Amino acid sequence: MTADPFSPGGVVFRPVSGNLVTVRLISAGLSLGIPLLALAALAVWVTPWFWLGAAVPLALLLWLLWLVPRQVRAIGYAEADDDLVIRRGILFKSMSIVPYGRMQFVDVHQGPLDRHFGISSVQLHTASASTDATLPGLPADEASRLRDRLTARGEARLAGL
Amino acid sequence: MSEPADGAVPTGEVEAPPEDSTIWRQVHPATPLINAWKALGVLVAIVAFNMMESIGATLELVSEFPVVWVVLAVAGALVVVLLVALGYSWLAWKRMRYAVGEDAVFHHQGILFRSQRHARLNRIQGVDIVRPLLGRLVGLAVVNIETAGGAKSNVRIQFLKDDEAERLRAEVLGRAAGLRGTTRPGAAPGEAPVFSQAPERRVYALPLGDLLLSVLLSPAAVTLVVLVLLLVPVGLLVGDAGWAAFFGLIPAALAGFGLFYSQFDSGFNFTLAVSPDGIRLRHGLLSTQAQTLPPGRVQAVRLSQFLLWRVRDWWRVEVNVAGYGLDTGNNGVPSSRTVIMPVGGRADAVNVLWLVLHDLGVDEPDTVIAAALTGTLDDGGFLPSPPAARWVDPLTWRRNGLLITRTALLMRRGRLTRTLTVVPHERTQSLAIQQGPWERRLGLADLRADSVPGPVRPVVPHLPATLAGQVLFEQAARARAARSKEGPEEWMRRVGVADPETAPEPEE
Repeated sequence: MTADPFSPGGVVFRPVSGNLVTVRLISAGLSLGIPLLALAALAVWVTPWFWLGAAVPLALLLWLLWLVPRQVRAIGYAEADDDLVIRRGILFKSMSIVPYGRMQFVDVHQGPLDRHFGISSVQLHTASASTDATLPGLPADEASRLRDRLTARGEARLAGL
Repeated sequence: MSEPADGAVPTGEVEAPPEDSTIWRQVHPATPLINAWKALGVLVAIVAFNMMESIGATLELVSEFPVVWVVLAVAGALVVVLLVALGYSWLAWKRMRYAVGEDAVFHHQGILFRSQRHARLNRIQGVDIVRPLLGRLVGLAVVNIETAGGAKSNVRIQFLKDDEAERLRAEVLGRAAGLRGTTRPGAAPGEAPVFSQAPERRVYALPLGDLLLSVLLSPAAVTLVVLVLLLVPVGLLVGDAGWAAFFGLIPAALAGFGLFYSQFDSGFNFTLAVSPDGIRLRHGLLSTQAQTLPPGRVQAVRLSQFLLWRVRDWWRVEVNVAGYGLDTGNNGVPSSRTVIMPVGGRADAVNVLWLVLHDLGVDEPDTVIAAALTGTLDDGGFLPSPPAARWVDPLTWRRNGLLITRTALLMRRGRLTRTLTVVPHERTQSLAIQQGPWERRLGLADLRADSVPGPVRPVVPHLPATLAGQVLFEQAARARAARSKEGPEEWMRRVGVADPETAPEPEE
């Protein structure tokens, strides 16, 4: 087996904030926990058969507890001189390389949970719709630093289309 | 129908223009008439469609009144609707104006909801002249100026007289290319300069017979034949219920016919010509369109050959152009603009490829092209999928291949439908490698070059993983170098072509 193409030499990937794990687990907990509680209540008061239904969200929740921390750890980014390199995925891996000069605009998103945990997500947009350059879970000040840096570099390397 | 005064440009009132040289113009005075008729047609269609559902009840209701009354009522309603539509269209016409300035095209319209659209000339991706059927009958055309801003990023000017539309196209393209145009000798100061039509040379014309045969051999036709072969015996066996199913299939049949028609329409009378303005494509049966693609606007090219087209070694050429997207054409926006050659022999297809690429960046282009179109494995120096790829891609792995030349990425794929995708280095937006669990076990990865939205999606699957990773970073550097060498947007200046009309004057 040869060297892993997803760990290129000379590129140091930075991880995203560990708070992203908490945020993702809370939102998963909300969307799966409510049906879980409802089914559990039905199982207690109506018929124990509902425990079978309750097992599904429970299993999903446990699986996510195992999966999400790994997923978040797999996300990494590196600011090269001319490009932003983004790596993600465990089972299905991908690594994108987005030139600053190709950037059309940068989005910074922050939901209420994100705000509480001090993280936001940064997304680079190029003229291509298939460019997948989203960086979730950056610390808020890192996100705005990155946004300003990206836009500054994008202007410096303006290539139009 | 009101005719224009004398073919002169209806200048309209000159408002305070955004820039000194901008002179507002109005579209043809017949525009409100055409729009009103269209509105009436749409309304009648809607009413008729709704009445179809309760046709019996409607007839019963109508039959209670004398025929004359009914006819009068219907005619009266139609006249009222027509008058209202006409009045509104006329007001809209009064409000609509456009102008071409030094740097931008301006288009203002709207009564209640006003819109102003200003498009920078150096961002123009293409200019189309569309002649809808109704417009063709009376000699009117729509000019569609495309910029690179997504699905509805066009400035649409409708309707203009044919020759005026052509003058507008010449002016927009001329100014976008960096020309200044000539002022008429003895013209009043401030009079708009004139841009001459760029001469064109026809490169390719699609014969009707080839078009018909290619449509009959297309994937849609094969699907249809298979469906009929499957369904007819079933229908015969099932009997009466089968007949019901048969009628149920009528909408599907209509859709299929629509597909055939659009293939036929987009290839009918198809010609491709080159001019200093760019590549000019013309086609259409009932409504016709003429597209102009200025140089350097093509982001990616694909040559493809469906299985049955091998009989004649026919190829189709499609392109990605920013702003064209995948739009399939509606009112005034040309359809199938991304197909720059519906069908043609290999020599013609390769010719068209040269027109959009100019240089493949290899020493023996013929060998490379042959290897790219029909070759397998490492023919022509391609980087192929390793044999391990047969486990995830048993049928087509021999065709997967990537070749990096001095100027472009060549991506070869497909066994039944052979394809070759070419992306110039300076046109890649971003790059990525992807790997699924099976690919990791086999040491493979997919390489993707992102391009603007369009029919061409440049991907080579199942390359050796380590090489794909290397290529990713090398290609990023190569794309950067190619971009930095790219010239200005004003292409006439870029290639150093002197403006034939203003050549004696020094360029400032």
